[in-house]
Amino acid sequence: MTTILEAQGLCKNYGDVAAVDAVSLSVQEGALFGLLGPNGSGKTTMIKMLTGQVRPTGGSATVLGLDVTRDPVEVRNRVGIIPEQETPPSFLTSMEYLRFVGAVRKIPDLESKADWWFDFLEFRDKRDVLCKDLSRGTRQKLMFAQAFIHEPALALIDEPLINFDPIMQDVVKEYLAGYVKNGRTIFLSTHILEVAEEICSEFAILHKGKLLHTGPVAELTGRGEHLPQFFLSLVRKGKHV
Amino acid sequence: MFELFIAMVKEEWRMHSTMFGSLSFALFPVMIFGIAFMGAFLLPLVRTTLPAGNLSIIIHSSFLLLGFMVGAFGLLGNEVMNRRFGQASLLAYSARSLPLSEAHIFATFVVKDVVYYFFLWVFPFGLGYLIASPFIGATLASALLLLLTLTLAFLYGLCTVFFLSALYARSRSLLFGAMILLGAAWGSVVLFTGINPAHFFPPILLYAAFSWTSLAVSVIVLSILFALSVLLFSPEQTGTTKEFRDAFAPLHQKFAFLPDPPLAAKDMIDLYRSGSAIGQTLFSFLIPLAVIWFFLSFLGPYLPPHGLIFLFAIVTGVIASTMYTWVTMFDSFGPYACLPVAVSRLISGKITTFSLLQVVPVLFIAAVAFLAGEAANIIPAVVLCLAVSFYAAGVMVWLTGLSPNVLVYDVKVLFVYLVLIGIVLTIFSALAFADPLYALASAVLFLPAGYFVRMGKARWDAVDPSGF
Repeated sequence: MTTILEAQGLCKNYGDVAAVDAVSLSVQEGALFGLLGPNGSGKTTMIKMLTGQVRPTGGSATVLGLDVTRDPVEVRNRVGIIPEQETPPSFLTSMEYLRFVGAVRKIPDLESKADWWFDFLEFRDKRDVLCKDLSRGTRQKLMFAQAFIHEPALALIDEPLINFDPIMQDVVKEYLAGYVKNGRTIFLSTHILEVAEEICSEFAILHKGKLLHTGPVAELTGRGEHLPQFFLSLVRKGKHV
Repeated sequence: MFELFIAMVKEEWRMHSTMFGSLSFALFPVMIFGIAFMGAFLLPLVRTTLPAGNLSIIIHSSFLLLGFMVGAFGLLGNEVMNRRFGQASLLAYSARSLPLSEAHIFATFVVKDVVYYFFLWVFPFGLGYLIASPFIGATLASALLLLLTLTLAFLYGLCTVFFLSALYARSRSLLFGAMILLGAAWGSVVLFTGINPAHFFPPILLYAAFSWTSLAVSVIVLSILFALSVLLFSPEQTGTTKEFRDAFAPLHQKFAFLPDPPLAAKDMIDLYRSGSAIGQTLFSFLIPLAVIWFFLSFLGPYLPPHGLIFLFAIVTGVIASTMYTWVTMFDSFGPYACLPVAVSRLISGKITTFSLLQVVPVLFIAAVAFLAGEAANIIPAVVLCLAVSFYAAGVMVWLTGLSPNVLVYDVKVLFVYLVLIGIVLTIFSALAFADPLYALASAVLFLPAGYFVRMGKARWDAVDPSGF
């Protein structure tokens, strides 16, 4: 198995606050890795560091063999990212945004790929509407499309299901499960534990910037435990540490 | 109304103090005070070459310009209202869920801007002069009068832009109709009386000869502008989804000769669809500069031959450099964070778009030179204007990266900016005044401009980008 992503003692401090505190973890090729944690636990900061959006204040990380501090732009070139907040540019239409992403990423055959995404996520009717006028759910669809349109070897996605209705959640879950079956890898940050248990192969629990646990989901379910209960008991215990 | 007003003032203060730190931001009015206080001691010296009346015109025109700039930054058509109100979730937006009318919220917003920026800019300046007045032989009454008339000049700028932008938001033809009427009235005064209409600017009339009647006239005109702005205000209709034909692909193709076609195409679409291409050009550039031309022309007799056009070219260059803020105002780094785009690449893209926009000051200064009978000096004036604009923009890039709007109130940044710009403007205005052809030497400013941009790119690549 190839290691796709590796963090060693990764830290991020904002003043006196340690948003991420010496986190070490690794993700293997073909995994659907779930990063779980309560609000403010450092999940988003972790994704931002792993994609070179913010610089770590300590430790190191490699993504697809690239150092995230030394090659942040190349990291972002090779991966797909869905940020925590859906922020497509206000004054481009959905189609123009995908064209813009295609031009920046130099994606061949953009037109047909964009068409496929409009149909797959059922928002063709919003193709020529400005991003600022889209609903949150449609913006999320657009951000989902831009993250996967170049079929990256690794996608780091932050709460990708949060604005979707149950039907679309189902479509997306199925897509993610199929995506890793083709040998690609997904690093998913979420606090929807049921989803994580359903689709993730491995998981890590982050709490107050510290890593509380990491391991395969199957190991947990094999013991007859469920991820939501395990998570709650660990985090509650963690609060008293 | 009062609770909303207080909350809006608190919000504005917190927004600024969060960006720059409470102390750094609190020092801003102290710096304005210091400039006015120390500047007052130079007045006896300045008066030996420039009559007091003309000096007052210059100072009042500066505050009028300040009012224009503050007004244009705050409110500019529906899209900027959306940017200002929507994305930052400011009170002016969230108050829409309260049982208050849009006009009520807008009026409170305008009053808040007036009070807030009065205490940030106007009051510290007036106070600086007031405190210095006993040392320079000025009477207390004249210092108080100056504070009053500067306030009025500032409010005229602010309310005029609010009024025009309210017209613009309601109907573009209404705005152009109003501007043609105003231009015709202005031109008639020049044509039939030969008097510079700037003489009739109410705060200047009031400062020259105080009377309660002049004061009343000033206040009434202002109140009418304010009331009309509120009455004409038309908020953006939410829920309307207009469809647009793809403009990105053709623009991307057209800009193939530029270093980064996708970024340039996106910027141009932003400028056009946000209303900024027309709105900013009118309210932040053409209208203020056209008005300032009439005020500056008072200085003509005190400048060397051809000096006025070069002074105006420098002022135009400084204002043109603020076009860098136009191209950055709709972008935080956020939308680019998931793409392989470094801050330095984004800065290069913005400089490319900025360069394309410089066609506006080039045409403007050429037209003014031609109309002012200075056709022979068009080329040196254009070169001076462009060189100043690129140099000032380069300094801005180095100091503020992609956030020139939000860093303008950081005292340290502003101080360095003023020093770097001040030195250059002094040198090149002196050269241009000595001989019009010497203005061509300003082309050398493109070198430090490029250097500042290069340093800016390295500097802002090395820090976590804002927008997170």
